[in-house]
Amino acid sequence: MLGKVLSDLGKIGEIEASAIATRDGLLMNADMHVKGDPETFVAMSATMLGAAETATSELNKGIPNRVIVETDDGKLVCMGAGPKALVVVLTAPEAGLGLILVELTKAAEKIKKLI
Amino acid sequence: MIETGIPKLDDYLLGGIPEGKSLVYYIYPGVEGNVFGMQTMYHTVSNGRYGVYVASSTDPRMIREQFDEFGWNTDECGDRFIIVDAFSGLIGADSRERYVVSDPEDVNDLTQCIKQAMEDLDGPGVVVFESLSTIMDLCGEFETLDAIEEWNQYAMLYDHAMVYNFTAWPYSEDTLLHIKEDICNSAISVGGISERVIFGQYFGILKADWMDVPRKCVLFKIVRPGGIRVYIPKILVTGPFNAGKSTFVHALSNRAVSVDRLGTTIALDHGHIDYRGFTADIFGTPGQERFDPIVKLLSGEAMGVFLVLDSTNAADFVRGKRMLEITMSFGLPIVIIANKQDLQGALTPEEIRKKLSMPTNVPIMPAIATNRDGVFEAFETLVDMVMEVD
Repeated sequence: MLGKVLSDLGKIGEIEASAIATRDGLLMNADMHVKGDPETFVAMSATMLGAAETATSELNKGIPNRVIVETDDGKLVCMGAGPKALVVVLTAPEAGLGLILVELTKAAEKIKKLI
Repeated sequence: MIETGIPKLDDYLLGGIPEGKSLVYYIYPGVEGNVFGMQTMYHTVSNGRYGVYVASSTDPRMIREQFDEFGWNTDECGDRFIIVDAFSGLIGADSRERYVVSDPEDVNDLTQCIKQAMEDLDGPGVVVFESLSTIMDLCGEFETLDAIEEWNQYAMLYDHAMVYNFTAWPYSEDTLLHIKEDICNSAISVGGISERVIFGQYFGILKADWMDVPRKCVLFKIVRPGGIRVYIPKILVTGPFNAGKSTFVHALSNRAVSVDRLGTTIALDHGHIDYRGFTADIFGTPGQERFDPIVKLLSGEAMGVFLVLDSTNAADFVRGKRMLEITMSFGLPIVIIANKQDLQGALTPEEIRKKLSMPTNVPIMPAIATNRDGVFEAFETLVDMVMEVD
């Protein structure tokens, strides 16, 4: 079922990889269109999201809604999906962030209900 | 004994399948369980014995390719790798195999072929069924159940071991129960952990009539090439600053990445190990206190813990113990690594035990992570402890 959520995400185009993991960095499901190791991908994403949460909540600025990383070759967006899981996507450089955020929020809601 | 070739399973079965006995891999739908039969087949044949593979749902040429995918070269095994072709007859194709079932929908025809193959074998071997469920679909449930009894008897006569891959599609309750509990000498369940939305796959022994059945469940992962590996999703490596945690993770792993800045880990080390039938993902934590929130975050759901200590730096041992608390490791299998044994002033494991006042059930093992001394011994020790827990 988690696989379905990811393949739906993949349909919006320009998504090169997507994955669902536990907050502590264990892979639950991945849909990879690029070569690479999904286990490491999610472990690092979980660390990033966790570190971001600690950084902002330390200064009483609340919990971040998402972490967005931009490089010349693409974007990485990582978002919490309920208290136990997170979802992360890797996109092509030309991908529009707006649509991705909307779809990712929807996916996160679904994942939250599934877990 | 005929070994199954599945890591850990042979230990639990006290060596494998006794000659003349039968085993069914009872596979829940949705799990890639047919690899179990394939691995048993290849393991037996590569050990110089004979193997008969009853192909009922795949073209024999494709089957050889499937074995190839796992790095199992069937050509090298020559005529010890035998296929009973119960597929080509279905689609009216020609077959190059020695044993061909002309009408795979007729169970008697199939029995004839299998018996012939068993008789021809030059010594005890293994007969593996690619998919018992397919045979059942083609020949009928009751006919197949009767036939299995006949095949098993015949195997007993010739001292072969029978191995069935059976996918538990919704057949009648009676049939499923019969296969699970009665018809074979042993049954291994192969399933997925679905409570948490398929997180992993496991196998466990349901029945084995030649021994007391251990209540064990083992997580596994299928890797290509390689086959079935016992899988440990998370092993934590923690310890004080500059103890050699990252070095340890890298020494242990086939591939590993680290997030290092200015020579120290700031996020985590992530490594992957594939060693003697076991595969594990390894998470190394930072050691400095300012990263404690991340350590806490990453240490959930670990199945075992390495505490790495710098044997020359006794002042940091307290911090090491504190890190076990932060990672909530107490209660999990823990192995303490007395690292940097090559440096002058290194304390022995026993001296460290005294200083830490660690109970004797926590192993403390000497290691030199920089040249991989002792790291694999420590891994084996921890894996054994993790396997005992279930």
